[in-house]
Amino acid sequence: MALTLTCPICGERNGYEFRYGGEEKGPRPEEDGLTPEKWVEYVHMNECKAGVQEEWWFHRDGCGSWFKTFRDTTTNLEQKQEG
Amino acid sequence: MFLKKKPMWGEKKKLKSSYDVVLIGGGLHSLATAYYLAKDHGITDVAIIEKNYIGYGGAGRNTAIVRANQRTQYNVPLYNEALKLWPVLTKDLDYNLMFNNCGNLNLMHSEAAMKAARMTIATAQFHGVESHLIDAKEAKELVPALNISEDITFPIHGAMFHPPGGVVRHDAVVWGLAKGAAKLGVEIHQQTEATGINTQNGRITGVVTDKGTISCKQCLVSAGGYSAALINGFLGIKLPISVLTIQAMVTQPIKPLLDHVVSSGAYHCYANQTLKGEIATGAHMDQWPNYTTLNTAHYIKHQAEALSEFLPALRGLRFMRIWGGLADMTPDMAPIMDGNDQYEGFFMDCGWGYFGFKSCSAVGKHMAAFMATNECPEILKPFNLKRYQEHKLMGETAALVNYTPDN
Repeated sequence: MALTLTCPICGERNGYEFRYGGEEKGPRPEEDGLTPEKWVEYVHMNECKAGVQEEWWFHRDGCGSWFKTFRDTTTNLEQKQEG
Repeated sequence: MFLKKKPMWGEKKKLKSSYDVVLIGGGLHSLATAYYLAKDHGITDVAIIEKNYIGYGGAGRNTAIVRANQRTQYNVPLYNEALKLWPVLTKDLDYNLMFNNCGNLNLMHSEAAMKAARMTIATAQFHGVESHLIDAKEAKELVPALNISEDITFPIHGAMFHPPGGVVRHDAVVWGLAKGAAKLGVEIHQQTEATGINTQNGRITGVVTDKGTISCKQCLVSAGGYSAALINGFLGIKLPISVLTIQAMVTQPIKPLLDHVVSSGAYHCYANQTLKGEIATGAHMDQWPNYTTLNTAHYIKHQAEALSEFLPALRGLRFMRIWGGLADMTPDMAPIMDGNDQYEGFFMDCGWGYFGFKSCSAVGKHMAAFMATNECPEILKPFNLKRYQEHKLMGETAALVNYTPDN
């Protein structure tokens, strides 16, 4: 089960160089009027999509970039997006 | 199902258009819940909906280990009850579950780990669960194959010894519970995929499947690793779950060598010898969520390295079979069991990670009581979904789980 990820700086690299950073959930919620429901949604809740999801990665054993990419969770294949 | 012979869990029946209770997922938690619904509460108008075949998921992929030496006051009594139910179920189901209470030996590789073990042992003893701290020499006496020399990567300082734990044949539990439930009138529908849950005015009204829509008053989702995606897809309820592939493997069979389940957190490896003589071993989860259930060369190598250090007698053995399953991990490594909260009649039993097998007997009993009475049993109350927003996470793990290589 190979995983190859495309770092915006280093290009295609072995998946084991990276650390998974969670599902893309949009911006951190505003502090003003923040409720426990909204906060827990941002911190803990996941869609657990079986299919293509947008997610964060950290190039831990590389350049240190944080970046977003699309990956199919049923095949581990990164999906290149148009444009 | 592909056979002409009549399966142990009754003739294949046509899916009715209505049941009192529909259970989504044909794994151990559903089977146990169905069995106890029928046996303890006389609720027999129950359908289990399974996309593949019963025991296809975690129920047939786990490494069969059972124990009750968890970390928190909420979890230990539940697992202890589950442990005590194996001999009872063997009798009640009239099915040999092959419970072998050989004992678990959890190796500690530092003074810090020994200290952590002391706390876990104190919790176990407080709840009346047998668990002791032993030193490296005593561990060697129990398991002569252990390497307690100091020249390995993680020298063994001692171990947490939990005599009542052991292994249960997981397939036998699937078949036994299916047989027991079917005998009491529960219908098991394999190759039937749930594709939606219908609701009206905040109540469950039915389950949509690829074989037709079923109306029901109550519905339980306990579909193992697939639960979180199903619950979000059907009802838009997001859960604090990450689904990871967890890998396992067995070696070629050898003569009797290990008569305990030996595990090590530092080596990230556990091993026990099956009754067939194979060394069953596993523990590694992928470092990123995925549903592949594929094995990696990376992990096979890791496993061989770990085993050949702390059980050097296994050097040179070959792995014979490898496989993977799904672990639905929560941040506090404790499950989510909830009902009648988001929707009247909607129940969930998920987030078990790699603890689903060892808990299924007791959880089935309590979930059945929950569904039959609409009254949450005391023992399940702390496991509700709200705990995350109330910041009452369980502490089954010392630190919040973040899916990095060390877990």
